[in-house]
Amino acid sequence: MAAIRGPIPGARTRARVAAHAPAAARGRVAHPFGSINWWVLGGIIIVGLSALLPVIQSSMVTSEGFSMQRSQEQVANLNGQISILESEIGQMTSIGRIEQRAQEIGLQPPLADPTFIHVNVPGPAPAKIPASYLPAPATTQEHPQSWWQSLFDWLPLPH
Amino acid sequence: MPVDRTPGTRRIWLPAILLGIFALVAIARLVQIQVVEHGHYSTVADKELIDKTTVYARRGAIVDRNGNVLAISVDTWDIYVNASVWQDASKAGPASEALGKLLSMDPAAIRTSVTSATQKDPDIVQVLVKRDVPYAIGTAIIHEDLDGVVPVADHERDHPEGDLAASLLGLTGIDNSGLAGIEYQYNAILQGTPGKSIFERDTVGDPIPFGQSVAVPPKPGQDLVLTIDRNIQQMAEQRLHDAIVEHRAKGGQLIVADPNTGQILALASEPGLKYSTLDFNDPATTRLLQNSAVSNLYEPGSEFKLVTASAAIDAGAVTPNTTYYDPGYVDIGGTIIHNWEDEALGEQTMLGVLQNSLNSGAVFMAQQLGEEKFYNYVKAFGFGQPTGIDLPGEAVGHYRTPSDPGFSPVDFATQSFGQSITVTPLQMIQAVSAIVNGGKLIAPHIVKATIDANGVEHSVEPKVAGNPISPETSATMRMMMHYDLESPGYRSEGDPKYYLAGGKSSTANVPVSNGGYNDLTQIASFVEFAPLNDPKVLVLVTLDENQDLETGSIAAGPVAAKFIDDVLRYMNVAPDRADYPPYDQG
Repeated sequence: MAAIRGPIPGARTRARVAAHAPAAARGRVAHPFGSINWWVLGGIIIVGLSALLPVIQSSMVTSEGFSMQRSQEQVANLNGQISILESEIGQMTSIGRIEQRAQEIGLQPPLADPTFIHVNVPGPAPAKIPASYLPAPATTQEHPQSWWQSLFDWLPLPH
Repeated sequence: MPVDRTPGTRRIWLPAILLGIFALVAIARLVQIQVVEHGHYSTVADKELIDKTTVYARRGAIVDRNGNVLAISVDTWDIYVNASVWQDASKAGPASEALGKLLSMDPAAIRTSVTSATQKDPDIVQVLVKRDVPYAIGTAIIHEDLDGVVPVADHERDHPEGDLAASLLGLTGIDNSGLAGIEYQYNAILQGTPGKSIFERDTVGDPIPFGQSVAVPPKPGQDLVLTIDRNIQQMAEQRLHDAIVEHRAKGGQLIVADPNTGQILALASEPGLKYSTLDFNDPATTRLLQNSAVSNLYEPGSEFKLVTASAAIDAGAVTPNTTYYDPGYVDIGGTIIHNWEDEALGEQTMLGVLQNSLNSGAVFMAQQLGEEKFYNYVKAFGFGQPTGIDLPGEAVGHYRTPSDPGFSPVDFATQSFGQSITVTPLQMIQAVSAIVNGGKLIAPHIVKATIDANGVEHSVEPKVAGNPISPETSATMRMMMHYDLESPGYRSEGDPKYYLAGGKSSTANVPVSNGGYNDLTQIASFVEFAPLNDPKVLVLVTLDENQDLETGSIAAGPVAAKFIDDVLRYMNVAPDRADYPPYDQG
């Protein structure tokens, strides 16, 4: 390895500049970003953020759009399922289905003519829900008497 | 300091001139595209960018008077294949395999159908593979994302009750429009209003999120609540079918109505439309799209004597006890009109005319009434005019009046007992309803209410078209019709067991083209109401051309009587009696 002989290039120059610098500057520590213009940097950041904003906005819009499409698909799916369920309810409550179920549980159409029974006793009173389960009756508030009506009542005037 | 300018050489000027010319051409073209032809290119761009789709509204449901579903639309998918995509065998193969598995179809058959459709029409873009695929299967096809397979949303009309009331409900076409019956008559209400979606699309045709779009949502069709009761309808269809088989009839109708409101509770007709055996390749299917209860014309025969008697009693021309002498025939200017089976009963009351169904007696009543009044009453009862029933294809019927060319007194005489006049079964229902309900002529109707998209029900009120007779005449006619069913020493086959009723039978020969009647073809019918003092149902049973040639009283009477007993019990109407009364008590 070759040894460096003589002074390091530029070292004398820097020492000379330091000797001519003001005393305050000679006492300050050299900062790596000392020469940055903060106004310019701020401007660059604002311009950068402004440029990023439409990208972020566009990304959000796209994601919202897909989310809306998914929701619309779900709505369509649910509507389709509702229509199928309605149809199934119709099938399950149809006369044919009721007849089939009746046969399954052993019911048969009556073979003989019906017998009508006339009962000359009034039927039971209709069942009522206990009052405790009913909503409280709305209290009717009477209109308060105005002061001048009270005054008329108080005065011994002929009615 | 002066600048030395080197004079331009050809090497400089020539490219400069060429570039200048190119720039001028480019500018001119830009002006042409962006200024001169702006409108045209704007339209072309819109066509590329903007897509429009029609969003079909869901068709309303049809339910019976108790809310039981008779017809409902179910979401389905129609599966199309993009023919150009399937020209690539590497795409068509796997896609058809997967599609065939989902649709339970042969993949090769699917490919063949697409290929043959392309060969038939080279311009075809999408080929229909299967229509009305169940919703779940269609959704599975979408998730598979098969090459060239395009599912398109559709609706299918489902009938949970099967063939019940099919002739009445009618059917819809592949475009979901009504073709017959209620579906056709109320198509505008059931179909709703289709929506529209206009949107900017991307290169593959999907909507651009938050792009320019206009959406008009579809307005779903309204639901219809019919006056029909599905249980009564099923009973009517079954009883009519049994009677047709028993009496070897060509067809028939059984109509059940509420005489006080004009509501039709059941309307059975045979032959009729059946969804389970529908075949549009059969020409007979087209005829089945017409409802014979509405569009068939027939000569009503003896049932029309009720109209003649009502008119004569209401006008004061006769009373139930007015008598005349029945020689068994009547001579109208040399034309002899006989009674049924030529019977001659001597002195008879007007009640006896109905009980024995005497043609001579009907002519006597009409003559006592006079021509002018008779025709005024016939018109007031709604004959020769549409009833206004909310079903398509209603026939009006016709009869000759004194002002018509060729009219003769024989027409007047024969019309009094229901010949030389054609009516529809529904016209008879309307007229007899007026006779028993206190004299109000009410338009029969099938739809009880409509339900809009917000669930609000809008009732259809009965329309009183007139008052042909007074309530007093109506009460008298009810009693006369009751005595026609049962009186001391007499009981008709049409007399119900448990309810006091009133009715009239008819056995009308079918006219033939030469102007006469064929004794071997007849229409047997029976019209009946019950209970006697507060009519709740009116039943008309008609058997067309019954081969056993049994009379209306014997063939149709028992059907009507049993039906009255069963339907009133179903309607929780207390019976009038526990059994038939003995003959001698009446």
